[in-house]
Amino acid sequence: MVPDRAPGRGINRVAPRYDALMGTARPVDSSRFEQVVVPQLDAAYNLARWLTRNASDAEDVVQDACERALKYMAAFRGGEPKAWFLTIVRHAGYDWIKRNRPTELIADGTDAIERAADTAMPTPEQNALRNASSTALTEAIAALPLGYREVLILRELEELPYRDIARVVDIPIGTVMSRLARARALLQRSPLLIAIRERSGGS
Amino acid sequence: MNCHEAMAMLPTYSDGELDAVQSAAMEKHVLGCPECSAQRDALAALRVRIRSEAPYYPAPAALREKVRAALARTPLAAHPAPRPPRERWHWLSAGALAGSAATVFAWFLGTAVLDWRVSTDLDAEVVANHARATLAHRLTDVSSSDRHTVKPWLSSRLDYSPPVQDFTADGWPLVGGRLDYLGGQAVATLVYRYREHTIDVFVRPLSGGVVAPTPSLTARRGFNVAHATGAGMEWWGVSDVSADVLAALVARLAHGE
Repeated sequence: MVPDRAPGRGINRVAPRYDALMGTARPVDSSRFEQVVVPQLDAAYNLARWLTRNASDAEDVVQDACERALKYMAAFRGGEPKAWFLTIVRHAGYDWIKRNRPTELIADGTDAIERAADTAMPTPEQNALRNASSTALTEAIAALPLGYREVLILRELEELPYRDIARVVDIPIGTVMSRLARARALLQRSPLLIAIRERSGGS
Repeated sequence: MNCHEAMAMLPTYSDGELDAVQSAAMEKHVLGCPECSAQRDALAALRVRIRSEAPYYPAPAALREKVRAALARTPLAAHPAPRPPRERWHWLSAGALAGSAATVFAWFLGTAVLDWRVSTDLDAEVVANHARATLAHRLTDVSSSDRHTVKPWLSSRLDYSPPVQDFTADGWPLVGGRLDYLGGQAVATLVYRYREHTIDVFVRPLSGGVVAPTPSLTARRGFNVAHATGAGMEWWGVSDVSADVLAALVARLAHGE
């Protein structure tokens, strides 16, 4: 549950995936890739990082997404490049989770959501270690179930409009709204945040 | 707007996803309601906290470098390898054939996209007109439920005479008419009421095109738009009433009943 706080970790061991891509002799429009995908790499990594909660896994996901984007580049017909690429990143992220942490997807039902929020109660040791409230918030967001975490990140950190979130996550706008409301409510009463608030004497 | 409605719409409001009319109504309500304004502040505080305290993870330089390096080694589509001369004719004729097919296809696509663009632009315009009139409380230039008053008022100011009907018996009383600007020309707007809602119906003469009196529906910024052609006119109904109510009214007008 504790997110990896070292974003640089694992960089040196991610090369092989990309060489597989190089093996394909199919000509691709790399200048288009340069224009459409490269400017979105920060957003892509940020989303992948929040989905996988780990730096090196996020790199794997982004590389996988780049491969897919290159393959589907011809299918991109203009429009919002950020939403287009983030849709691919999210798919790559979900495939990664399916392969590596399938239980997280099964646990993403509504019943499990309440449990996830409640079992995120910090231990005294964690409380002692944690002195920055930003760590508590990061952990509270990381503890949100996947379906809620992703809409919150897309809205608050990527600042996408509802329409684009609906496209990336492939859900109706009404569901975007209800998931956002739920994610915010869970954060507002997260034990992780309440613990910090009480220790720092309210606010 | 009552408290219950306001509470439900607060997150959408704070996400900046309400249109001008709804935002204005929301601001008015929040000013006079301590509970709603507290909830609004709580939402704003959470947003500030998330944006300032939750880390945004930018792509590490090494990852960026790897993507660029991989790209540099990718074969380019723009520079295909030269082919032996004998094969060239072959490819030229096939290329010409494919090229002309592509041109025809692009033309079809282009006209389809243009049609679609024009209709969505007009949809946006009618919604903006409706919102402006509601905001400024300038719903009608001529207020009358009598179609024999509304019709001559409109036709004396336009180069056409729109059919005007009153549907009080069916639940859509005619409130009046006004002049609007749509697609670069002055058009007649008929104003109806349905319960507490205002329905604007924009009318202009049909210039060619297909007669389709069954309305096609779209939703824009929380408003429903129903478009139909018939009775020699083109009709757009705009309102926040439910789509089926709006469609029924526009269908009646377009069928000339």
